[in-house]
Amino acid sequence: MMDNGSIIPNCQFRSKTARLKTFTANQIDEIKDPSGLFYILPFQKGYLVNWDVQRQVWDYLFGKEMYQVDFLDTNIIITEPYFNFTSIQESMNEILFEEYQFQAVLRVNAGALSAHRYFRDNPSELCCIIVDSGYSFTHIVPYCRSKKKKEAIIRINVGGKLLTNHLKEIISYRQLHVMDETHVINQVKEDVCYVSQDFYRDMDIAKLKGEENTVMVDYVLPDFSTIKKGFCKPREEMVLSGKYKSGEQILRLANERFAVPEILFNPSDIGIQEMGIPEAIVYSIQNLPEEMQPHFFKNIVLTGGNSLFPGFRDRVYSEVRCLTPTDYDVSVVLPENPITYAWEGGKLISENDDFEDMVVTREDYEENGHSICEEKFDI
Amino acid sequence: MVEKKTSVRSQDPGQRRVLDPAARQRRINRQLEALENDNFQDDPHAGLPQLGKRLPQFDDDADTGKKKKKTRGDHFKLRFRKNFQALLGEQNLSVAEGPNYLTACAGPPSWPQRPFCAVCGFPSPYMSAAVPGTVLCMKWTV
Repeated sequence: MMDNGSIIPNCQFRSKTARLKTFTANQIDEIKDPSGLFYILPFQKGYLVNWDVQRQVWDYLFGKEMYQVDFLDTNIIITEPYFNFTSIQESMNEILFEEYQFQAVLRVNAGALSAHRYFRDNPSELCCIIVDSGYSFTHIVPYCRSKKKKEAIIRINVGGKLLTNHLKEIISYRQLHVMDETHVINQVKEDVCYVSQDFYRDMDIAKLKGEENTVMVDYVLPDFSTIKKGFCKPREEMVLSGKYKSGEQILRLANERFAVPEILFNPSDIGIQEMGIPEAIVYSIQNLPEEMQPHFFKNIVLTGGNSLFPGFRDRVYSEVRCLTPTDYDVSVVLPENPITYAWEGGKLISENDDFEDMVVTREDYEENGHSICEEKFDI
Repeated sequence: MVEKKTSVRSQDPGQRRVLDPAARQRRINRQLEALENDNFQDDPHAGLPQLGKRLPQFDDDADTGKKKKKTRGDHFKLRFRKNFQALLGEQNLSVAEGPNYLTACAGPPSWPQRPFCAVCGFPSPYMSAAVPGTVLCMKWTV
């Protein structure tokens, strides 16, 4: 079961300190000094465009250092983005069947797996709407009885990558040049950013001086010798006026903490003229048949890494609640692990009795080619 | 007590470019495109001699006795290296029917864009006099 790119980094890395080696996927953990880390990604804007890199990552994951896959005996479920391009889907078929020679393949959207997982916990529900906010973008996808409502899918072109890049820019402009430090600043984002429940109130607090500014934190950057991992200075150790005496490099972050994730809710804040997540959820549902709408409002499921920002779920709920007629119930669910939720759904599917009917076997493909995949898979 | 400063408005007419909406939009688009970059810096391996890049994984083959099917030469590889825009173009979505990648894109929001100071990021309703088209808060204006 491969939710392509969800947990193990689906990319390669190069470090200026380790000049000879290209690190693949989770080998990032072997890099002693990840400053200035250079990323090589097989995906562009959420679509798989560079098969050279993808194959190197998969060769490593399927190979002897990792999962040691016995291809001829193995079935694979693999995730793909919504509206994946025909040529990419065909390349995927060729690579999985002809190059790796898997026994059978099921290609799905991640949201389908999440929906399956959700319906397993909520068997009386017929509809749900999956919000998948990941690295490249955010998709809002209504599912009715395991089929996605294609006409109501919405894509917001804001994902974790954009948030990290934006954070790098504003820090570089205001305090310290960190444009080369994607890996470090991504960690800063995950450590200190949160979603505000009241944007303008938090902005007012962030302007206050001294101890009254409860939003402000001082983040100690890692130097990868004495400080391996960044951290926030405990409040009692913060020097609120004047400089720190220690040799640590410190980022002082205030409105950045919540202004960055705010872009998921208001992409227009940085000039992207698209609606944010809550508005898109409501827009999507309102374009579905009226009798179905209450069922979707009651089953909103948040998945993907960006759901992990503290306050994300509550903010989605309160905004959707404001935009929805009062006679509809609104329920927004944040699973315990929004990153692995799709994967868990895939695992359940693989254990289903009818799993065999869902896959395309290598024999099927050799006889019928791409057309059988096009018929069977709902990408 | 704020000391009297000379106006930050440049007296040189060449300096004081008024950005027309098209130029302003181009600048915004450039900034948005920059947010798509994977890296700001150059590849640390650029310019180094390619050492052992072509080494195949012999161990895998030896262990399992299976041969990996080789890719069918350059033509195949070329197909596997198109960039996003090229692949999107191939889909011919502008003439396609039904929902697709383009139609799925979120529409504009229902409420207007909120102005923030270009320097410190706090909300501000003021347009800068010195740098046309930029929002600044009172802290950065004379």
